[in-house]
Amino acid sequence: MNRPKILYKMFVANAKEFFRDRASLFWMIAFPLIFTFIFGMVFSGNDEVVYSLGISVDKETPITKELVNQFDEIESFNVSTGEIAKELEELERGNRKMVLEIPGITREGVTGGKSSTVRLYYSQGEQETNRALISAIKEIFSGIEREVTGRAPLFQLEPEPLETRELTNFDYVMPGILAMALMQLGLFGVFQFMSLRENKVIRGLAVTPLPRDTFFESEVALRLIIAVIQTFLIILIGRTVFGVKILGSIPILIGLVVLGALTFVSMGYMIASFSRTLEGGRNLVQTVQFPMMFLSGIFFPIEFMPGYIRPIVKAIPLTYLGDALRQVMVGYPPEYSLSTDVYVLTGWFLASTFLAIRFWKWE
Amino acid sequence: MENAVEVSELKKYYDDVKAVDGVTFTVETESIFGMLGPNGAGKTTTIETIIGLLEGTAGEIYVLGMETSEKISDVKKRIGVQLQDPSLFPRLTVGETLDLFAAFYPEPLSVQEAAEQVGLSSSLDGRINSLSGGQRHRLAVSLALISNGDIIFLDEPTTGLDPKARRDLWETIRNVRRNGSTVFMTTHYMDEAEKLCDELVIIDHGKIIATGSPDRLIEDNFPHQAVEFADPGLSPEDRNDLLGISASGGINFEENEGKVILYSEDVGKTVTDLIDYTRKLGIDLDNLKVRSATLDDVFLKLTGRAIENE
Repeated sequence: MNRPKILYKMFVANAKEFFRDRASLFWMIAFPLIFTFIFGMVFSGNDEVVYSLGISVDKETPITKELVNQFDEIESFNVSTGEIAKELEELERGNRKMVLEIPGITREGVTGGKSSTVRLYYSQGEQETNRALISAIKEIFSGIEREVTGRAPLFQLEPEPLETRELTNFDYVMPGILAMALMQLGLFGVFQFMSLRENKVIRGLAVTPLPRDTFFESEVALRLIIAVIQTFLIILIGRTVFGVKILGSIPILIGLVVLGALTFVSMGYMIASFSRTLEGGRNLVQTVQFPMMFLSGIFFPIEFMPGYIRPIVKAIPLTYLGDALRQVMVGYPPEYSLSTDVYVLTGWFLASTFLAIRFWKWE
Repeated sequence: MENAVEVSELKKYYDDVKAVDGVTFTVETESIFGMLGPNGAGKTTTIETIIGLLEGTAGEIYVLGMETSEKISDVKKRIGVQLQDPSLFPRLTVGETLDLFAAFYPEPLSVQEAAEQVGLSSSLDGRINSLSGGQRHRLAVSLALISNGDIIFLDEPTTGLDPKARRDLWETIRNVRRNGSTVFMTTHYMDEAEKLCDELVIIDHGKIIATGSPDRLIEDNFPHQAVEFADPGLSPEDRNDLLGISASGGINFEENEGKVILYSEDVGKTVTDLIDYTRKLGIDLDNLKVRSATLDDVFLKLTGRAIENE
């Protein structure tokens, strides 16, 4: 008997079954791509952030005019002027980030060394942004003060931007989306097998000479090929649409994709061996997949998570796949070393393969 | 020449059910062998144990001279199987499914041939999930046929088919025999067993209660003809009286179908007696029929109940 031919035919049958199923196509191909587009659009915009600044001047003088102009010239500020009451109202509504109340400052007053109080209103929260903005505003005032008093600054800060690689939020997320896609491939992919098992298609194949391992080989081969397709599409969109630069070596990347796919495919089979019915399998997958997606740090850095969740984060295989892919794809600073990632993933792969075989159910 | 299938003392017990309880039989090559019995008699369990889908509790099975527990993968290459409740890849077409299954066997039939044999040639492009129950069933049979195996196992192959399709399938099954293969089938249709099978075993409650060709079974159990009439509502006393009538083969009161059947070697005398008797009681004889005995009668005699009522 011709095993390669059987494997080929079985593979083609599985592939047709997969590509003709809209639900699996959606979850495995469209869903990750939609994610890529959404995150890409939200995160990759390199536009500088503009803060809207309200300025209310009690009494206009040449000095206050100059002040308003100074602020207006700064690109990061979108300056609007108006009555203090109106501006505060806008602040309350969230239409202004900060509001400055400037008294009528006169040249005579300034040169006479008279100190004027400028009030700065802002809403609490977003402490870091507030702090940064306040010091920026202070800096602007002292700049003007130096100008008026004619005293030279003791330190000159010369900003010299170098051509370094700037990691955007999307650079962080894109490998995460690939990791998510590989997880879904393994965990949702097993539904096809479970449904064939539940509908006794597997039983029907069991009476033919089709070797059972050939059936498996065809399923795993299909998953791996889909994994490569997912990788290709996500990178394609990331590069061409959102300009993500792929740094790492392609062979290592493919190796990681295969390892990740194998890990989650075997987790999928492990779930299939734990639950008898498709319904049970779905529930089990959902309880595993959803928390994993949000606790693995594939969408935001692990430091954002409270300390007591960290142990869970450290146990989840998706954490390591995301970390490894981030390192290799975009050169993101690693959380763990690449070899740690590979060891943990291999461990999960072996453990779930073992459990899948141990509790396996053909019917 | 070796037998196609030899089963001896096969037992399959579940926790509290003896699904198959010590069956022994032989299937000759190039014959149509039928296993007849009501639902739940153990037919499917027997066939699924022979083809290696279930593991027997005890007993020996040889298929084409090979011990199945040792050589099941060799056996599978030389047999074709149609299971009950066939289920297939829902999004493949009929043609793709046949093509896939053909790849499993060393010398399969062509897709076209296998489809033709069950009248599915025009549905090759139809997806499995769009087929009717009958079409799906015929496809399952044709997946067994495509193996071109030495033995074709068919578990209730005609269940759910309309009369025309049933007759066509009988012809297909006869063709398989003509081409030198053996057919092992189960059925709960008496007429099918009688018209189609060369050899039969009748199975009930996991045990074989009779073996032989249909003619032989009928002859052995009924050297008689059957005289049958609609039960006019006989009282127990009337029934006792009726027993006095000469009916050498005995009388059956078939409660469910409202029939009384008398088996006799001297039909003329039985009918005359019966007419006298009913005149005396003043009842009409409705639906009076004289016929030869059938497998139904055999089953009725052996088990005390009719099979189709199960």
